[in-house]
Parts: sequence; C-alpha cells; structure tokens
Amino acid sequence: MRLLTDPFQAGFMQRALIEAVLLGVVGGVVGVHVVLRRLAFMADALTHTVFPGMAVAFLLSGSLYVGALVTGVASAVLLTLLTRNRRVTSDAALAVLLTGFFSVGVILISRSHTYTADLTVLLFGRVLAVDLAEIVATAATGAVVLAVLWLLHKELVLRSFDPDAAAALGYPIGTLDLVLNILITLVVVSAVKAVGSVLVIALLITPAATARLLVRRHVGLMMAVAAAVGAIGGWLGLVISYEGSLQHGWRLASGATIVLTLTAMFLVVLAASAVARRRHRPDEATDESTTDHPLLDPHEPLIDDAMAIGSRP
Amino acid sequence: MSDLVHTFDSSLMQRALLEALMAGALAGVVGVHVVLRRLSFFTMSLTHATFPGLVIAGMLGISLFTGTAAFGLLVVVLIASLARVRRIDSSTATGVVLAGGFALGVVLISSQPGFSKDLTGFLVGSILTVTTADLVTTAIAGLVILAVLAALHKELVLGAFDRDGLVAMGYPVLVLDLVLLVAIELTVVTTIPAVGTILSVALIVAPAAAARLWTDRVGPSMAIAAGIGAASGALGLVVSNQWSIAAGPTICVILSLVFATSTIVSPRHGLLTRRRRSAGPLLAIGA
Repeated sequence: MRLLTDPFQAGFMQRALIEAVLLGVVGGVVGVHVVLRRLAFMADALTHTVFPGMAVAFLLSGSLYVGALVTGVASAVLLTLLTRNRRVTSDAALAVLLTGFFSVGVILISRSHTYTADLTVLLFGRVLAVDLAEIVATAATGAVVLAVLWLLHKELVLRSFDPDAAAALGYPIGTLDLVLNILITLVVVSAVKAVGSVLVIALLITPAATARLLVRRHVGLMMAVAAAVGAIGGWLGLVISYEGSLQHGWRLASGATIVLTLTAMFLVVLAASAVARRRHRPDEATDESTTDHPLLDPHEPLIDDAMAIGSRP
Repeated sequence: MSDLVHTFDSSLMQRALLEALMAGALAGVVGVHVVLRRLSFFTMSLTHATFPGLVIAGMLGISLFTGTAAFGLLVVVLIASLARVRRIDSSTATGVVLAGGFALGVVLISSQPGFSKDLTGFLVGSILTVTTADLVTTAIAGLVILAVLAALHKELVLGAFDRDGLVAMGYPVLVLDLVLLVAIELTVVTTIPAVGTILSVALIVAPAAAARLWTDRVGPSMAIAAGIGAASGALGLVVSNQWSIAAGPTICVILSLVFATSTIVSPRHGLLTRRRRSAGPLLAIGA
C-alpha cells in the first residue's frame, strides 16, 4: 500500500496526481457520451485543431488556454460548414481539418528556435510540471462541464439512444449536439496543456470504453465507473512511471505511462468480460463471426451523422 | 521566376520531388477507397499506432519499413477484432488502439536519448532527407499496392457500395476487407518515413475527398486524386523552398486549400454552384 502513496510526498507529484485524477474523472464522464455517440474521431480531431491556437498564444506569450479555445470553437464551426456538403462525409471532413489545422500550427511554431522541444510539450504535456493555477483552471472547467452534463443528462442520453424520440419530444437536437461538442472542446482545452493531446484522447475514450464493457445500460452508472477508471488509471500510471524511473532506472514518460495503464485496464476488463460471456452463453461467440459484418463496418458511421447539423433538411 | 525554375536543381530537391510525386499519386488512389468506406479515422489511427514498430525497428537495427509494416499488421488485426466485440464500435476500437499504440511508442522512445527530435521527424516527416533507398521502397511498395488494387478493383468498389451483393455473389468479403485494410496500412507505412504521420493522412484523405466533388465515378476520381496529390506535393516543395517553410506542413496546407476550394467551386457539388441551382428548375431530380 505504501507503494501507492509514497511517490506523492513531493509537491510536484501531488499536483500531478490532483491534475491526473481531476482529468480522469471529467474525461471519463464526458467520454461516456463520446463513446455512445461514436465521437472518438471528433475528439481526436479537436486535440489537433487546438494546436495552431496554442502555437499563436505560445509565440505571443499569451494564454494557451484562450488560444486553444478560439481554434477549438473555430474548427467546430468549420466542420459544420464542411459537412453541409453531402458529398463530403464527416470523417473525411474531420481528417482534412485536422491535418490542415495541425500543419498551420507546425508552420507557426517552427518559427521558434526551440521548435522540437515545444512540439513535444504540446503533444505530450508536462504533467509533472503542472502548477496550482492550472489545477484551478482544470477544476473550474471540470465543474462547469459536469454541471452542464448533469442538467442536460436526460436530454443527452435520449438523444444518444433514440434521436427520433428526442426530436419528436421537441428537443433541439442541433443545439444539444453543439453543447456536447463544446463540452468536449472544453475538456480537450483544459487538459491538452497539462497532459498533451495524446493523453487527452485516451482519457476521453479508454475509460468510457472500459465502463461500457462493465455496465450494461445505466448511463449514470457507466459514467461513475468511467470516472473511477480514469482516476485510478491516472494514479497508477503516475506511480508506475515514478517507481520505474526511481527504482529501476527506466525513463518512462509519465503521460504516456498513464495511457498505457488505462489501455491495460481496458484489455483486462475486455478479456474478463469475454470469458464471462462465453461461460454464460457458449454459442454466442459463433453468432458474431458471420460474413455479414465487415471488418470495419462502413455503414456504421464512424462519426455520428448528427455532427452535420447543417445538413439536416 | 527563375528561382522557381531552379528549385529542383539540386539532387536533394529532385529526390524530394520524386518522393512527393510517388507518395501523392499512390495515396490519392488508395484514398478513394478510404473515403468511400469512411476509413479516415482508421487511417489516422494507423499512422499513430504503428509508431512502436518504428521505435522497435530502430532499437533492433532492422529496416524501419519492415518494422512498421509488421507492427502495422498487428494494429490492423487488433482494430478489426476489437471492433467485433459487442458494445465496442469501430470508432471506439480505433480510438483506444490509436492512443494505446502511440503511447507505447512514446514510452519506448522516451527511454532513448534525443527523444523529442525523433518524434518530431516521425510526426512531420523529413521529405528533404529522403534517401535513394526510401525512393526505391516507395516505388516498389507503391507498384505492388496499385497492382493489387487494380486486380481487385471491381470487387473492392462493389464491396463499398453493395456489400450484400458481393456476399450474394459468393466473394470472400472478409478477405477482401482485409486486403484493403492491409493495402491502406502499407500505404501509410510507406509514406510515413518521408512525409510523417500527419501528412500521410492528409495525402490519403484530402485529394480523394476533393476528387469526389469533381466526379461521381470511382475510376476517374482515382486519377483526379492521384493528380491532386502529386501536384500538391510538387507545389508544396516549391513554396516551401521559396519561403523556407517546413515542406511537409506546407504540402498539407496546400492539400487542405485544394479541398476547401473544391467544396466551394466544384461544378456539381460546390457550395456556390448548388446555391445557383436551387434557384433553377423545379424538376431537378438528380440534384
């Protein structure tokens, strides 16, 4: 047990732990919506499109947070415009936006002489160098995000599972989608500086995917499990990278170690649930291996089509 | 003007041009399948998740192409089998593998000195330092991929539009799916060493997405996409040389601009042309 608490005697490790747990909880809860609505690529794209804003802020010594927020929202609007054209599927539009924005960011930041180091920080963050102001910003953003999710819980869940019913009840689907996208943007923006873009994707997807394997239907419970998985993954990941570096001399990048810990938790749950299911219904496994399902289903939208708010008649 | 003509005088720039033309043409053709089947996120995931293969190849001293190609196969199998698990859809499977794979690469490479420099090269590529060996790899891999796509063209296209029809005709659909995913995987690992992960995705998706706005037919859209990819590569090198901007990101931005322009002005599906048509005849059934 000491092993789990000992690394957190130093102040920087305590701050890293608070940040990682905060982001794990918020990422897990929002992530349930990301996973239910299949918005993983959207989340991934956002982590890249905030980059030019951060680069500009970085060069002008402005607030990275504001810079990221501006380009995050701008890319959400552009995406809506692009997907107005029915010939352009939302996944292709996302890929073009992502690569275009990211490249502008790289061109901007390549003007600075500490180019490669800066790029690495923006991608992988510096969770061990988080300061108190960043923790406060993360906590405040997280509180806003969770409050909005709580207030709109019923509407957002119904919209995920039964969009037709939600529309029939008169819910403003377009507005709900926009709210969710902005919430995802907020999480990405508050996390990307501290933990880097790759860890943000993992925090938004992996804990929620794990929870979805464990919880059958109840979305609230799924969120609680995802939050717990995210928080535990952050904690364990920090312990592993600290102990690995200190005791064994492996230099394990802390952000990436957290991602690997989350992935390992997902794989363990996946294996356990596969074993459990096979024990209950041994014939089910053979059901699924028909040739009717493509290896990667082209008809299963990778991005929820409702992303294309403007394309609705 | 004379500056522009002399852009490709040095053998360094000639090699870069050749790589850009080949990678652009190859990625354009493969990209049409990617866009038809909505596999952009899968492509993105492949570019990131094959990273450990590159690091391991570097550690073992084997060829980078072999390392990433072998690891990429693993990634393809992993994503495809995860996506078949109940309650894990392909989007989530792709995301989990993307983050996990990339993180594994980062952990592996962070134990090596000089880590951030290698990583930057991996992400944004270094087309100006392609070697003759890289060119040969791109040429051979490209020819093999294009030959396979040409041989299976009818089946792959039918699979994208009418899968049930393909099943009914007795084709081994899962094998065809796998062939296509592996072709995409090989395209990604072929182009990454020269152009980096981000440009690799851009070269595959952007020209094909733009071509789709100019024609409804698959064959011609492959030709258009290949042309856009190759031309953007060449133009990007000229621009980058002229104003000393990093080559990879410049090509990327040009590709995005070509796509953005196409969404506005393409004759049949552009935003401008569509608006004009909506004020047109009452009976416009094909619109």
